[in-house]
Amino acid sequence: MPWKDGYTISDEKTRGDHQVTWPGGRRCCVSITVDLSVASGPEGITAADLASPKAQFGLRDGLSHLKETLDQFGLKATFAVPAVMAKLQAHSLRILTQEGHEIAAEGFRHEDVSRLTREEEAERIQLTTRVLSDITGRRPSGWFSLPRHGDPYGVGTISPDTMDLLIDAGYRYYGNGLADDIPHHWVTDAATGRSMLTMPYYYHYDDQWFSLFPAAGTGLEHTASLFRNWSAEFKAQYRRGRHFHMTLHPYASGFAHRLRLLQRFFQNMVSHEGIWNVTAEDVVSHWYEIDPSPQLSACIWRNYPGSLS
Amino acid sequence: MTSALEQDLLALTRAGLKEEARYRTIPRIRWPDGVRMAVNFTADFDAMLLRRLMNEPPMQLAKGEFGGRVGIWRLIELFDHHDIKATIFTPGRIRELYPDALRAAHASGHEIADHMWEHWVPGDAVLEEDHLLKTAAALAEITGARPVGTRSGHSLSLLKREGFLYTSHDCAGHLPYYIRDAAGETEMLNLPFHYAIDDAMFYSFSWLGSPNAAQRITDTGRVMELWWDAFLQQYHDGGYLNICLHPFVSGRAQRIDMLDDLITRMKRMPGVWMPRCADVARHCLATHP
Repeated sequence: MPWKDGYTISDEKTRGDHQVTWPGGRRCCVSITVDLSVASGPEGITAADLASPKAQFGLRDGLSHLKETLDQFGLKATFAVPAVMAKLQAHSLRILTQEGHEIAAEGFRHEDVSRLTREEEAERIQLTTRVLSDITGRRPSGWFSLPRHGDPYGVGTISPDTMDLLIDAGYRYYGNGLADDIPHHWVTDAATGRSMLTMPYYYHYDDQWFSLFPAAGTGLEHTASLFRNWSAEFKAQYRRGRHFHMTLHPYASGFAHRLRLLQRFFQNMVSHEGIWNVTAEDVVSHWYEIDPSPQLSACIWRNYPGSLS
Repeated sequence: MTSALEQDLLALTRAGLKEEARYRTIPRIRWPDGVRMAVNFTADFDAMLLRRLMNEPPMQLAKGEFGGRVGIWRLIELFDHHDIKATIFTPGRIRELYPDALRAAHASGHEIADHMWEHWVPGDAVLEEDHLLKTAAALAEITGARPVGTRSGHSLSLLKREGFLYTSHDCAGHLPYYIRDAAGETEMLNLPFHYAIDDAMFYSFSWLGSPNAAQRITDTGRVMELWWDAFLQQYHDGGYLNICLHPFVSGRAQRIDMLDDLITRMKRMPGVWMPRCADVARHCLATHP
């Protein structure tokens, strides 16, 4: 780019469609994230969150229906799991791992880490990594911080230290970035090129914003709109040969009519030739091969009195 | 002696008349020969600058960055594919972040116009002038000529002095109209854009800090219906439509497809003129001074 600290995280220009290639000449990559957090706001999972019947629906009925649906279409997903939820769902996580899904980390309690000191954040990353490793038998390679229902922005929260700490802790990718619709480098130090791959996320393909959002009320169920978003984006990405991504919550998409919409969507999606559906971890491994490092050019930003620095 | 209510009535009537007097409409616009309606595609290319200005958190900046890395390139490709000329309203600072994208837009014949230095207009007149001059110089470095249009709240007298021909801001009428500043001294042409024809109103979670309870993010099918109807109504009237896009919003793959569909449908209708804002402005200034 012309790089600019505090403004940009990646290089100046995305890879064009023709530079996006998938293994075996497949046409379009599909990655699916399932968010197992039940946190409702920035403070992360609380006892009250766990007590809500909506959360309990997601953990039990919702998850089993969602998993059944993925299995029905032979799809693999990455499950984003806070340490607190891993303890509660240890059995499910072992089964998911055995069946070829990926278990990635999603914070200690899926809290907004921008409120922590660097030391506190590092300690939580360490503990979360240990908890997940102990349960699944393998170290998580991805870290997520998906947005919660009650966050002010639908994008997920990190601190200025998060990416750096994750690189130190041996993570290979961050799960939900917004600067591109394909994997891209999140640069933490432009001088050395220190960076980590980031998988794309976008709120229009995340079921939580369409499922009785922001709360129960009149006419706030917009799952038909979600279905149109998934369908139109998949069509566009398939045509370009890039990457389609969706985010699912068991409490949302695991329920009745929403399951039917999801099944209709999957039915259409898997009928397309050349879909490469793998876990985020596998997408990232491929991406490091074709795009190992960011292409940065020197910063040309200047400081002027009375202007942003 | 008049009552307090009568005094209110008088004061509000005066205030209303004073505001009304600031607007001069073009009653029946005469477009160039063979043209029934003008459509301006405009893109407000601020990437993450506004998010940065509002001190929003890192992922919000990354959301804006999509506009510079991905979105602007897709919009240029889309407009070029259809051989239509658009106007890119750009903060001056973008030249230091995405110079290649600006050069590409200019090389394709799109207009590069002012969208403030850093997406705000300083209240201090000296600093305001400084910002406008910096932006004009930054954009001139890309295009070889100073911008003639702006989407901003810059004072009209300053804009006029610096050679600006038009603003594109607010929507006090369907058609281009003339607006005077509050002092009544300077008049300038305005090419109106309506918030209902602005992608950010449909797709941008927490636009300008709007709270969660206000979010109703929607899909391209619905927006296509609304915009196509808006176009048809103005087509019928022989009018004008300014379509306000943001590269970080409309640069998403499915939205490029929707715009492709919209432009394809518009082009099938005879007499639709899709030039740069500056072309519409020069036409209005020449034929309806």
